[in-house]
Amino acid sequence: MTTPSTIGRGTTIRGSVRSDGDLDIHGFVEGSVTVKGELVIAETALIKSDVSGRRVIVRGAVSGNVSADELIVVEAGARIVGDIGAPQVGIRPGGLIRGHVATGAPLPARTSQAAASAQAAKGRPAVAAATPQPTTVTRATAPVPAPAARAVATPARAPAPAAKPAAAPAVPARAPAARAPTPAPARTPIPAPPPTPVPLAAPPPAEAEEEQAVVDVQADESAEPAAAEANTGGPPPPVVPAVPKGAKAQVRRGRGAK
Amino acid sequence: MAGTIIGSGMTIEGEITSDEEVVVVGTVRGKLHVDAAVTVETGAVVEADVAAASLSIGGTMTGNASASDRVDLLTGGRLVGDVKAARLTIADGASFKGNVDMDV
Repeated sequence: MTTPSTIGRGTTIRGSVRSDGDLDIHGFVEGSVTVKGELVIAETALIKSDVSGRRVIVRGAVSGNVSADELIVVEAGARIVGDIGAPQVGIRPGGLIRGHVATGAPLPARTSQAAASAQAAKGRPAVAAATPQPTTVTRATAPVPAPAARAVATPARAPAPAAKPAAAPAVPARAPAARAPTPAPARTPIPAPPPTPVPLAAPPPAEAEEEQAVVDVQADESAEPAAAEANTGGPPPPVVPAVPKGAKAQVRRGRGAK
Repeated sequence: MAGTIIGSGMTIEGEITSDEEVVVVGTVRGKLHVDAAVTVETGAVVEADVAAASLSIGGTMTGNASASDRVDLLTGGRLVGDVKAARLTIADGASFKGNVDMDV
């Protein structure tokens, strides 16, 4: 039998943490965390690594991808910068996520670039199905028919479209509901600027990449309130307007440099 | 409640730094730097250099132990490595291989 483990708030671990049982983290971990039981990341915790477990409850800060075989709950006050993936994902109002959210399966084991492309082929269609419109709209304005996959995911381009139709029927009932409220307000500022700089942009790949970055942020943005609304039915949390401001600034900076 | 418990079935490879009590029931490889008491329970495996305020070993430990206060090697405990501490007890039934430096 395994005894419950705790990493206290005064404790720092640099390296890999593996556990067959449950684990509570209140301290700082940099490396990797792999738990076969329930993992609780407490308010005081700061984790700079990928995290995986059977059930993961996040109340603290995670900088890295979070994957679970069963369930992820992002509680109020949680901060996650990275992708999250699990068969079931719960995001409470006040939980902050910057990254892709995929329900249906845990994230692929490795997060190297090779795995990122594998994710593009396998895990991403769920995300694409949840927020397809922003991606397609901005893509239309780009001079090159840029694939939705990020720059690193080039080898995955071919499998991605093939996988997309297969994944689409998996989410059809939920996708429209989640999609309906979010894209309209979130997207309005973006389509306006693109047409002007695009003709004078000499290197289209760089431009396309930039657009892609914006789209990624946007997709994250729309994914979060959608989930929050699904939970509460209330208005999106107050943190949301702050991030598009940064995204716009990023676009402006990109333009100014040209 | 102890600050940090590394339960059985848990493995940490790397460096642990803490200013609160650490109890090891599982496995630790690397380094352990604690400004408080460290307890290596029966069944635990520590393959690490340990620096602590006090250290109590009931399990298996391989590596150098340095304590500002004391080191206790309990019955059934097993230590392979050097000990540097002001006070050291080795219980009946414990096994120990290494040098002792008591700062005289």
